[in-house]
Amino acid sequence: MQPTHYAGEHLWYGQAGHLLIILSFAAALLSCVAYFFSMREEPGRTSWMAIARTSFLVHVAAVYLVIAILFYLIYNHFWEYYYVWHHSSMSLPVRYMLACFWEGQEGSFLLWIFWHTILSFFVIKRSGEWEAPVLGLVALVQVFLTSMLLGVFLPGYRVGSDPFILLRDHPEMAGLPFVSMGDYLSKITDGRGLNPLLQNYWMVIHPPILFLGFAACVLPFAYALAGMLRKQFTSWITPAIPWTLFAIAVLGTGILMGAAWAYEALSFGGFWAWDPVENASLVPWITLIASVHLMLVYKHTGRALLTTYLLTITSFLLILYSTFLTRSGILGDSSVHAFTDLGMSGQLIFYMMFFVILSAWLLFRNRKNIHASREEENLFSREFWMFIGSLVLVISAFQITLTTSLPVINKVFGTNFAPPVDIKSHYNKWQLPIAAVVSVLLAIGLFLKWKKSGFRLVFQPLIIPLLASVLLSVFFFMKASAPTPHYTLLFFTSSFAALASLRYFFDRMRSKMKVSPASLAHAGFGLLLLGALVSASQSHVISSNTSGIDLGKDFPNNENIMLVKGDTLRMGKYLVTYAGKEKKGVNIFYRVEYYQEDHAGGKLLKKFVLNPVVQTNPRMGNVSEPDTRHYLTEDIYTHITFDNTLEENAPEHEEDHDEYMAPYSRKLHPGDTIIASRCFIILLGLDRSVDKNTLGISESDLAVGARLQVVGVNRKICSIIPVFIIKDNRVYTKDAVAEDAGIKVSFTKIDPVKGEMEFEIYEKKSPPQDFIIMKAIVFPAINLLWAGGILFFTGTMLAVRKRLKQQKEKEKQ
Amino acid sequence: MKRIHIIGIIIIAVAIGAIIGTVSDSSTYAGFAMAESREGKEFHVVGKADKSKEMVYRPEENANLFTFYMTDNEGLERKVLFNGSKPNDFDRSEQIVLVGKSAGQEFHASSILMKCPSKYTNTSEGIKEFKSASTDH
Repeated sequence: MQPTHYAGEHLWYGQAGHLLIILSFAAALLSCVAYFFSMREEPGRTSWMAIARTSFLVHVAAVYLVIAILFYLIYNHFWEYYYVWHHSSMSLPVRYMLACFWEGQEGSFLLWIFWHTILSFFVIKRSGEWEAPVLGLVALVQVFLTSMLLGVFLPGYRVGSDPFILLRDHPEMAGLPFVSMGDYLSKITDGRGLNPLLQNYWMVIHPPILFLGFAACVLPFAYALAGMLRKQFTSWITPAIPWTLFAIAVLGTGILMGAAWAYEALSFGGFWAWDPVENASLVPWITLIASVHLMLVYKHTGRALLTTYLLTITSFLLILYSTFLTRSGILGDSSVHAFTDLGMSGQLIFYMMFFVILSAWLLFRNRKNIHASREEENLFSREFWMFIGSLVLVISAFQITLTTSLPVINKVFGTNFAPPVDIKSHYNKWQLPIAAVVSVLLAIGLFLKWKKSGFRLVFQPLIIPLLASVLLSVFFFMKASAPTPHYTLLFFTSSFAALASLRYFFDRMRSKMKVSPASLAHAGFGLLLLGALVSASQSHVISSNTSGIDLGKDFPNNENIMLVKGDTLRMGKYLVTYAGKEKKGVNIFYRVEYYQEDHAGGKLLKKFVLNPVVQTNPRMGNVSEPDTRHYLTEDIYTHITFDNTLEENAPEHEEDHDEYMAPYSRKLHPGDTIIASRCFIILLGLDRSVDKNTLGISESDLAVGARLQVVGVNRKICSIIPVFIIKDNRVYTKDAVAEDAGIKVSFTKIDPVKGEMEFEIYEKKSPPQDFIIMKAIVFPAINLLWAGGILFFTGTMLAVRKRLKQQKEKEKQ
Repeated sequence: MKRIHIIGIIIIAVAIGAIIGTVSDSSTYAGFAMAESREGKEFHVVGKADKSKEMVYRPEENANLFTFYMTDNEGLERKVLFNGSKPNDFDRSEQIVLVGKSAGQEFHASSILMKCPSKYTNTSEGIKEFKSASTDH
């Protein structure tokens, strides 16, 4: 059989790309080996070092070229490549091309690899004698990561998934007729496109930050292992501290951005859902925080070396575990946003187990040098409570990991656990008390001194923050809706944490000592907890329906409410109107107007307009995007949960359009009002100057119009003029329609004796076509959460700077 | 006994507590028959919506009630009352997971997890979750 000749393909890009992936893999491997050999070189000889560095640079260059080629393919819509076809489309704006670059697993691995290379440059520049073991380990990690992109077939197993695989070669397409058509490309005019959920600016900025955080986690781990490889069991801690802090700051920001994304753009109805994918990045962050505190304990007191090792190593292993959870498809049933399975579970498990065994082996071999300290520490010292705090964080991480891992436990032990039904209260039950303990410790810990502190010096400055937070908590307890003891306790401890940390910060400022970045970060963390607590526990749905049928406790009649176009309903302190919708491209923008009553005049004042969006996507399903009005103290969040016109078998819009219910007649004098079900109709008077020509009647015929004012429920006013006609002694009417109010009026009779006019009113059938089901939630104090996050980031980054400065000063001495 | 040992014991106790807590809080994947035998306890039930039978969503009466019929993986069919609006892509869904409890011959669902075909590709499935009223504000 003649091989098919395919027209119009750009094959060499993919071939070059694939070769470059193999090159980057091989170069990383060589660099790793060479770095380890260079550690054994005699002083003064650098030949292995030179090989290691050169091959590392080759690796880096190959990675950058791979990224450039893949982006070029996406940018030029080369549909012959599966990745391009699968993740992008013609209509995709350039700003989302980055997003579709990392939508797929391959692209997100590339992003991760990319950040490792950037961080490595800083290591090469600064780390001196630590370069060989640290970069050797980073190169080893790169070997594993690039192997995920290899797409090479071993007997019986495919290693990695090549982003440059051709559409016609992809296993999903095997056997489809187009595969054997030479001119298939001329028939493929568009790609599948980016998942509409991800067409969002958060998707452009959130993954790079999160992956930078992931990437930074490799360095504390590499330093810890390097310490064992170089038999310098303690001096790795000083250079590892700034990297650990950096990883905490960036990973924390990435997680918060994910929360902001969920809150702003996804219809979760909140910023945190305890989704397994969210948990997977939260847990390493928590253990990393514990680990940096233990590093500090060791640095200042020489204690807790073993725990420091264990936690630093575990944090990175948890990053690998979270990679496994999100990318192996094992979360399939329990997470909304895990990656789809690429059949790489085996490889991911191997990757994870390799580093678990490597670290365990190194720890075991060096167990004599890494021992727990023998003496008791002072109960009244910073290190003791820092140690306790770290252990509490470990418990928190353990509990989250356990529940998140239920699908893994099911797989391993053949059990049949489903996630807890009420996932939020399950986590809150554990994490709220833990957060309360942590927040007390993080406040007191600042005031404690290393080794031994005086009682008065510690507790005197805490009195004012303590009293202030007691007052605040009492206020919270009185004002809040349903303030459970749990919530009140955490409110108290987190406000205490924030206030005490700020007190420490300003005390240090006043005493002209150096700024304390730690206290800023602690204050930020306290505020973050406070904001999360208040906004989550006090958020309330204001779109509750009161008119429906009550079905008992299982079916509370709340959360979603129907709004007919033009209708106004009370929601909390607002009156809300659905004013219409507008289609722009694939997006439907709904106009939801919020009014408030003027206290003095009882008039309605328009406060703001929200435009929630439904993105229509026939192939992947419609996506509803909320819109939120931000105030300093609270947010009003609105999202469309249902629009019947978007249903697949929705009734044709035009069909019922003119269907009215049976009319009813009313007799009116000028000035009288008819109250219809959706509007008022006021007869203002008669209009005798009707243009007879346009009606097609002669001058001798009689035509009288009635000037009617129609006032909709939303106070929209329009005027209509139905006409009463007598032509050749027969009565005709010309009806008038008020579209917004959903009525049609016929002018049917004039009684000149009584001065009475008779009208027939046609009301549109209920429900009218245009309605939405929406949900509106008020989130109070959510700005505290974001402010706390920013403060936390600033404090932690200032701590990075402080540590680097200290290091430099030390080097100079 | 040294202080570190006391701390160690406390940590282990809490860890065991977490394990027990997770197991006791966790739900079970089950069929309607199981759910009916333990009425009032919440289960995860996997199955397919029966699209030949009526699906009712009348927002003008109650925007938070959607009823339909589902056949579970054991072949048993039950009427399902979902406390929430009709999920956007319900008509396209293939497999669905209900979270809720039985009440007589009906199943009261508090959340629906849907798998829609061809969300990404033909082989992999996209998942969407629809939560109803969360009770822990």
